[in-house]
Amino acid sequence: MKPVQDPEAANQRLSRRSFLKGAGGAAAGSVLATEMAQAASEAHTAEPEVLKGVVQVSFHLNGQPTSVQVEPRTTLLSALRNHHNPPHTAAKSVCEQGNCGACTVLIDDQPVVSCLTLAVRVEGRHVRTAAGLAQGDQLSPVQEAMCADDALMCGFCTPGFAMSVTACLEKNPAASEEEVRRACSGNLCRCGTYPHIFSAALKAGRAMLQAQKGGK
Amino acid sequence: MTSQDNGTPSWGARADHRVLNKDTRRLSGPEKVKGEAIYSIDRHVPDMLYGKLVCIPVAKAEFTVDVDPAMEIEGVVIAIPLREGSTLYNGQAVAAVAAETPELAEDGARAVVVNYTPQGFVVTAESAKAPGAPQVSSRSPNHAPRGGSNDKGRGDMDATMEALDASDFVVEAEFDVAIQHHACLETHGLLADFKGGDEATIYASTQVAFGIPGSAAGPLGLDRQNVRCVVEHMGGGFGAKFSMDVAGRAACLMAAEVGRPVSMFNDRRQEFETSGNRSGSIQRIKAGVAKDGEILAMHSDMDKLGGVGRGPGAVQPYIYNVLESFTLDYALHTNTDSSRAMRAPGHPQVSFAMESVVDMLAYGIGADLVEIRKRNLSDPAYHRQLDRVAQEIGWNEHQHRTAPGKGDGWIAEGIGFGVSTWGGGGGPGAAAEVRIERDGGVTSSIGVQDLGTGVRTLVAMIPAEEFGLQASDVLPRIGDTQLPNGVGSGGSVTTASVAPCLKDASHKTRLAFAEHLASVLKCEAKDVTFADGKVFAKSAPDRGLTWKDACATLPAEGLARTGKWIGDLQTSGAHGAQAARVQVDLMTGAVKVLKMVAVQDSGLVLNPLTWRSQVNGAMIQSIGLALYEGRVMEPDLGIQINANLGDYKLPGCMEIPELVAIVDDEDTRQAVIGVGEPPAIPGAGAIANAIHNACGARITSLPITPDKVLEALAKLS
Repeated sequence: MKPVQDPEAANQRLSRRSFLKGAGGAAAGSVLATEMAQAASEAHTAEPEVLKGVVQVSFHLNGQPTSVQVEPRTTLLSALRNHHNPPHTAAKSVCEQGNCGACTVLIDDQPVVSCLTLAVRVEGRHVRTAAGLAQGDQLSPVQEAMCADDALMCGFCTPGFAMSVTACLEKNPAASEEEVRRACSGNLCRCGTYPHIFSAALKAGRAMLQAQKGGK
Repeated sequence: MTSQDNGTPSWGARADHRVLNKDTRRLSGPEKVKGEAIYSIDRHVPDMLYGKLVCIPVAKAEFTVDVDPAMEIEGVVIAIPLREGSTLYNGQAVAAVAAETPELAEDGARAVVVNYTPQGFVVTAESAKAPGAPQVSSRSPNHAPRGGSNDKGRGDMDATMEALDASDFVVEAEFDVAIQHHACLETHGLLADFKGGDEATIYASTQVAFGIPGSAAGPLGLDRQNVRCVVEHMGGGFGAKFSMDVAGRAACLMAAEVGRPVSMFNDRRQEFETSGNRSGSIQRIKAGVAKDGEILAMHSDMDKLGGVGRGPGAVQPYIYNVLESFTLDYALHTNTDSSRAMRAPGHPQVSFAMESVVDMLAYGIGADLVEIRKRNLSDPAYHRQLDRVAQEIGWNEHQHRTAPGKGDGWIAEGIGFGVSTWGGGGGPGAAAEVRIERDGGVTSSIGVQDLGTGVRTLVAMIPAEEFGLQASDVLPRIGDTQLPNGVGSGGSVTTASVAPCLKDASHKTRLAFAEHLASVLKCEAKDVTFADGKVFAKSAPDRGLTWKDACATLPAEGLARTGKWIGDLQTSGAHGAQAARVQVDLMTGAVKVLKMVAVQDSGLVLNPLTWRSQVNGAMIQSIGLALYEGRVMEPDLGIQINANLGDYKLPGCMEIPELVAIVDDEDTRQAVIGVGEPPAIPGAGAIANAIHNACGARITSLPITPDKVLEALAKLS
């Protein structure tokens, strides 16, 4: 997975124009709040270009190049589920308001709610979903621990939690339970799997640390 | 080794189990963590349209609807009116559209022109009871006995009043429980896969797959037997999903009209406004106790807030023995959608009030909170369960055992208790098939849906135990009306209804296989033994066959038997006790649950791992009911102002305490009982009691938000 880009470089390339177009300008850049602010201030001087009709968005989905043809208003969540061929339903549609985290994906390794992300924003970027965590039948440490600890019931929140936990542990496999809770505080479960999710995350973190030691 | 009893099927001694009663991973785990599990809302079929409902955003209206403007949008394929005339509650759907994309369906829904005139309405208890209030229904007054106009109350009122007079200590209080929502993550809806012709498949999010063909056949214009329902995976139900709802009916109508599949699921607002809530309640209670702790009397006057419905039946006095009682049970109608079954319908509401009253009486006479409960509960199960939760929560070391904390200082800690009851038995009607293939494959089939409870895994575990295999060796097939009959998943009946069928089918299949193998193993059929993936004659365990080799001796068509429900394999009667330890911030009124303990019996627990998840989940939903959740209606506009997951507060990662779910292992019944409802009952009462125990603030209104805590504390000083 590509590392987060140098913010300086991303700043230079991000303009109001490229933001609206969602074109190669923002390629693989990690858009931080400061960059967004800068883009907004540039908008006063830059020539606006409004996208209309159907646009093509090309990006990487779980490591594979792919594209969708969508109206610019289309969310990444809807683009994946309803416009991608074949439909990619690992991200779940629950609240469409960023309240529940069930649609969490990683964009360039950062967790985002895909229901509040326009599809055009992922042009050229790397999107990861729960469908991309396993290597074939070999579950990722997070997935394996979630199965072992029964960290899922109906399973509808599960892919979102798997992504939030994965993002947390990829940054810090030694994350404490408190840190795991905070990392997942944007995810809701209604069946009541929380305690098992926390225990699974800690277990997965230990497995990842063990694997890192083994690899060295 | 499995039970090799060749007579009537029985679960056998727990010590003999190799698969059952052991923690067994959920078989759907890998596909769920990979995001590969396909829920009905995930289904896409060629040529599919996306549907969207048009709803009226006022409590009561007369309206006309014009769908034609929607049809002018390119990509909108159909728009239909769903009803005419008037609506009764906020969010009622009046039209539906279907389009090539969900975005275009939203455009279409916005384009539908609805002219409505708001009518007089009531959405709160106060306004519903006010003199001259607009009447919700023409059939009965807003406030009417649930049992009909002849219902004059239960119990002996005079004797109750005399017993109150004779009591050593009397309490009087009004309890108020807000409306809770199911908030299933997968919303209600279905995909009507119909392309013309005379057959259709419905992919639904439903708790009763076998009920869907009958409901869908009409709007599709098909014969019921030509409609199949599939529920491969389901994103929660909790009691809300027993009909196909307006979204489902509209999808079928539109699919029939255009001859194309239509997928239509509620959006989150519709889910809150019209598709599932636990009734609210107002309970005015007067109760009295003798010095020795015996509860002598209870007078209850209850209003059930079931919207346009009547609400559930549970009444006071709840579980505890009360010498004399009198209960008035009223429906209080408002212009809101009907309440639905939700995990032990009616029970958490009455439990909250009853447990609060028990604590109030105990403090009044200086009794220990555990002892007064045991004094008024006959069943010994409760006695041992209360002792166990008391031990786990640290009651014996606790400071405030007969009087609450005084509410001084900054942080106070308290403990509270509650008990629960439920049936949990099953019933006849379901059937199962177990099939052994020549290649060693085993398939276990029953049409029942899995709401997230773990039924799918039980469907594999039961034959695995019978054949000396592992659960992962068996392919469970569920959620399909083309499979043997399932059962509607409500009232905790699922396990006790399907497990006996699966056991019967497994047992018959094993006997038939043993008969077949007797000649191969050169022994009598009764001596054929299945254990650890092998098959052997009892007298010669070293000279057996592997399971696969044994299956290879079967004829090409394999071997299959069907099973039916056997009452002796299940029973009913669940008991539970829970304790909560909470921390109250006396400066801010914020309550944090630190720990909850549940001790629950439910006969033979088939899979303790998924059982614990079920009990944990029930405690978490109780935390929501106690502290966070509640529908908020705007009284003058008649609309719900928190119909989304941002403003309606569910328990989240930061609010989850230590949870301990314990199987009551002194329950040795050799029969299965469902566990969905009972652990969802006592938590709210236990938490409210713990708050009072911590600081002396008795809050009789759920949810217990910080403002209520501060107000109650202010009254103390």
